[in-house]
Amino acid sequence: MPVYGFLEGDTIGLLILARKSMTVAQLAQQLQSAASVRVAPRPGLRVVYKEKVLDPADTLEHVGLSALERFDVIV
Amino acid sequence: MGGGFSVMLKRDEWLHLARKLDWDYSYVREDEVFPPVQSGRPWLPHAAWAHWEEPFRTSFAEYVVNQHAKDAAVQAVREALGKLEDVQRLATPWVNALKLHAATLPLAEFAAVVGNLRGARFGRDSAWRTAATFGALDELRHTQIPLSLMHELVQWDGQFDWTHRFYHSNNWVAIAGRHLFDELLLASDPIEFAIATNFVLETGFTNLQFVGLSALAHNAGDHMFEKMVGSIQTDEARHAQIGGPVLETVAAHDPEYAQWLLDKWFWRSWLLFAVVTGFSMDYLTPLEARTLSFKEFMEEWVLDQYVTALAERGMKKPWYWDLFLDALEVYHHMVYVSAYTYRATVWFDFVVPSPAERRWLAAKYPKYWDALDAVWERITARWRDADVGNEFAVHGTAIVSFCDLCQLVLCGGTPARNSANTLEHGGRKYIFCSQPCRWIFERELDRYADHRDLVKRVLAGEAPANLVMMLRQYFGLDHNTWGKDAYGGNYPWLKRNGQTKR
Repeated sequence: MPVYGFLEGDTIGLLILARKSMTVAQLAQQLQSAASVRVAPRPGLRVVYKEKVLDPADTLEHVGLSALERFDVIV
Repeated sequence: MGGGFSVMLKRDEWLHLARKLDWDYSYVREDEVFPPVQSGRPWLPHAAWAHWEEPFRTSFAEYVVNQHAKDAAVQAVREALGKLEDVQRLATPWVNALKLHAATLPLAEFAAVVGNLRGARFGRDSAWRTAATFGALDELRHTQIPLSLMHELVQWDGQFDWTHRFYHSNNWVAIAGRHLFDELLLASDPIEFAIATNFVLETGFTNLQFVGLSALAHNAGDHMFEKMVGSIQTDEARHAQIGGPVLETVAAHDPEYAQWLLDKWFWRSWLLFAVVTGFSMDYLTPLEARTLSFKEFMEEWVLDQYVTALAERGMKKPWYWDLFLDALEVYHHMVYVSAYTYRATVWFDFVVPSPAERRWLAAKYPKYWDALDAVWERITARWRDADVGNEFAVHGTAIVSFCDLCQLVLCGGTPARNSANTLEHGGRKYIFCSQPCRWIFERELDRYADHRDLVKRVLAGEAPANLVMMLRQYFGLDHNTWGKDAYGGNYPWLKRNGQTKR
């Protein structure tokens, strides 16, 4: 499932290919890894979707994130 | 004729008959000669356009004499200072600014020939049609000169081949360029063309840009480019005059439509202009050759005169003016540093700004520079630890995302908060880099909704998802031509800790 990810501190949005069974924490790690050439990895990432901070243990299916939607990863 | 002598009319006695001669139609209706679909809206009887005038009032003979002299001057500089060895002596970053301009300029100018010719036939006053005819000839010249000058450089550096190749490729910058220029130059009716191209793009941006670029080229020691853009600018200064009187008539009869065209095309022009000129001024010009930052240049040469030109015609600043002023602080920096980390996707090389250049940028752009500088610090650290010769150790591999309006990468906003926003329409999802891009899209859904950005092409299986396959198969690049760090990461100010290949 392709989703648009925006990492705090980065300068560009990236397309992340995610699985609905992934956790929110795994999604954050995947975006951080994809952006690592520009942004040094940091601990304590939080995922924001539709203005709400998500539970890192939730799955993407549970939080309702669907293809071609935006999510943000903040510190 | 049969008499003993003849009298030559003075210029002012015949010129108005040659360049401004309109008449009433007897056998057809005016709207059949100038159909609304071809001539544009608002459709007004000729009486509404009869006052149309521009200050140059050039005759064809004068045009030919002037243009011949200009071409001779360009050729003289080319022979004296534009040889291959002259270009080889220029600073490496500046040569890459040349490649960037060389690719984006000439075939866009060629598309402008078509736009001008539409005005030359369907413009609503004969003086407008005369000026547009000269405009078409101008744009042909602006195509031929850079193609001719850059062709000689291909033997030295294959990236210069993109001067001609760029718009024929599916490179992401070319997709964005075509999306803009196809609409602006090929699809616009003469009214939209005159306001969008002649008034907004040329009067607002490029006419003054060429003045600034010419000065910058002079400082960088590139006298050929200096002469070329200086010569092109003199043509632009003339045919850009078409825009003002067209805008005044449209504003008098349909001010809302006039404001829409101004605001739409200012934003669309700004985005591509920021990338091409912003990169060149703030990153690819040697520090010692810089006079103004891109922002200072925009403030001094573009903004004041554009706002004044609007006010003189009773028009307002765009509703997004505050957003634009903020973007002026940060947008081209966001794109440059992002594109640096995807440099293999383009046809020119990049440089990492040195510590001195970063101090210069910090002083010129204090509002957001700290956040941008952190990204350069990270890139520098990656180079420090990368094995020498391993370019892809400091390169992105994830798929980047693109705006469904401007087709440029999603680099709006700031590092703290990207301004991308999404929209669902007709069962499809769209994403935009900024509110103005979304606003333009929503106002003309029929025009834009079916276009597929690069991500959608990948998802549809039209373009490969693998980066190297995309570069080779879809963008038409190969290892010799794709962009690299101009110095392979070997900067005098950067100590490398990685292994050196033996």
